[in-house]
Amino acid sequence: MANYQGTLNRQSMRAKVSKAFLVLLLSILAAVQLACRSVRRGEPIVGPLASSDPQVNRGHVVFQQNCYKCHPGGEGGLGPALNDKLLPTFLMKKQVRVGMGTMPSFHKPDIPPDELDALMKYLIAVRRHNRPMSNR
Amino acid sequence: MRLRNWPAVMGLVVSACLFAGCYVIRPSSGAGQSSFKGPRIVRADDIAVAKGFQIEPVVTGLTFPTGVTFDADGRIYVVESGYAYGEVWTKPRLLRLEHNGRLTEVAAGQTNGPWTGATFHEGAFYVAEGGEMEGGRILRITPDGRVTVLVGKLPSMGDHHSNGPVIGPDGWLYFGQGTVSNSGVVGEDNAQFGWLKRHPQFHDIPGQDITLAGQNFTSSDPVHGKGKAVTGAFLPFGTASTKNQVIKGAVPCSGSVMRIRPEGGPPELVAWGFRNPFGLAFSPGGRLYVTDNGYDERGSRPIWGAANVLWAVDKGVWYGWPDFSAGMPLNRKHFKAPRKKQPQFLLASHPNRPPDPIALFAVHSSADGLDFSRSGQFGYVGDAFVALFGDEAPSVGKVLHPVGAKVVRVDVRNGLIEEFAVNKGRQSGPASKIGGHGLERPVAARFNRAGDALYVVDFGVMKQSKKEAQPQQGTGVLWRIIRER
Repeated sequence: MANYQGTLNRQSMRAKVSKAFLVLLLSILAAVQLACRSVRRGEPIVGPLASSDPQVNRGHVVFQQNCYKCHPGGEGGLGPALNDKLLPTFLMKKQVRVGMGTMPSFHKPDIPPDELDALMKYLIAVRRHNRPMSNR
Repeated sequence: MRLRNWPAVMGLVVSACLFAGCYVIRPSSGAGQSSFKGPRIVRADDIAVAKGFQIEPVVTGLTFPTGVTFDADGRIYVVESGYAYGEVWTKPRLLRLEHNGRLTEVAAGQTNGPWTGATFHEGAFYVAEGGEMEGGRILRITPDGRVTVLVGKLPSMGDHHSNGPVIGPDGWLYFGQGTVSNSGVVGEDNAQFGWLKRHPQFHDIPGQDITLAGQNFTSSDPVHGKGKAVTGAFLPFGTASTKNQVIKGAVPCSGSVMRIRPEGGPPELVAWGFRNPFGLAFSPGGRLYVTDNGYDERGSRPIWGAANVLWAVDKGVWYGWPDFSAGMPLNRKHFKAPRKKQPQFLLASHPNRPPDPIALFAVHSSADGLDFSRSGQFGYVGDAFVALFGDEAPSVGKVLHPVGAKVVRVDVRNGLIEEFAVNKGRQSGPASKIGGHGLERPVAARFNRAGDALYVVDFGVMKQSKKEAQPQQGTGVLWRIIRER
């Protein structure tokens, strides 16, 4: 009985590990595929981002003052592109606050919490604004 | 709360690390790092312009063009600089575009380029002669080609030159003067530019007396070809500074905007503490704006992550060079280059707190010539249109993707920057890098007299190896952007 239970436990563990590995692999593949999406969001390419949401517009100013110089228009430059990254909001916020590698950190005096929220709204709006004008 | 989908989250984190970071291990992929082979083909269809506008080539086959202006009759004049980084010397020229499309040489200079721009005022042209060999000059050129030097011996024999000029509403002629060094200290990088062995005693000059903090920097000695040298700020190569040493200010000085009367006379200091105020323009409201090229990651005091800046210029103000970038102090971690030392202040005290910038352009984008829209026919009245020459990586520092090589529009009320004319393709960059036959290196933007057309001067193909710039002669273009017909 104990052996049978042990066998069942090992099989269950193997199934869980396989499932976890598969999820991990699919996540990486999804990220790879998404990384191949276009990064272009400039007005001549996709048209102006005309938003009526004041938070998005406020976030645009925050982005311009803090992020643009390394990620111009959300494209790559000194830093990598942002427009093709499907990171969830909480991870993006974490990266802004903590930094990553050569990216410096931006603490609350640099970007207050309400401005950080607005920045996230702006980044998501830009991410979604991705249909080239030539395709319309 | 247990995170049930932790493998998915881990996958996202790992992917984020792989694709969003890794600056240190990824190679540089700058605008000039291409395998271009001439001749340059030009195709306007490869350029995307903001909705409602179109772009067309006006003149092709120029060599190192840097400026455009218009006489009283609206005829077009183009400046060819006569010098390009990489120490390539040609003849600086002012050219008139005839109705049949031919170019007529109005005036030419000697080996003292680059000619960086021109303006027309009351029957004559005013040209900034960059002065890499003999010092900068502001020239007055009559329509029949007579050249008069209004002011000379400007401190231009270093990394940056005399720029502009532009006529102000007060009738004075304003011009920019770039700094000698990248960030205040002459070093090995200046030998790579080519001038250090020609002028080993040359150094930056402050606009007023300054007191040094006494920082010194050790480098190899390319002047003598062996050994080491110790150099302080605002001093000749190989001359160390001491704490609280006073460096006398002078006019003309480095990193400044100055002005002279169009009829000649000594230059007056308007403002200083810029690094390379290349583009100058007055807004419709009469305020002077300049584009200022940001620090590079090179030399004895490399600075990382420094934006190019659009400033509104106020008289008597210090704008922060060499201790601030866009109003932020350089002793912040934001400016520490990977694997290099944290920059510290060179000055023991600062003349004033630098102003806030109007707008921040991308790092290494080389924000250059600009102009303001004044006509409802074109639209965007009051907005600035800026030519971004693009990065010169890897010599200025590494970039992960090409930067610049486009024309942008700036709302100076809030500093928001929008692309206005860019190459089509999967990423931004010059055509020689990303494919197609569109823009290469926009260097000047100027509205015609009617205000209904924006002329963009495209310097041409500028390749970049690890050691030097490799500009390609005969690849310059003058473009025109107008409302769609």
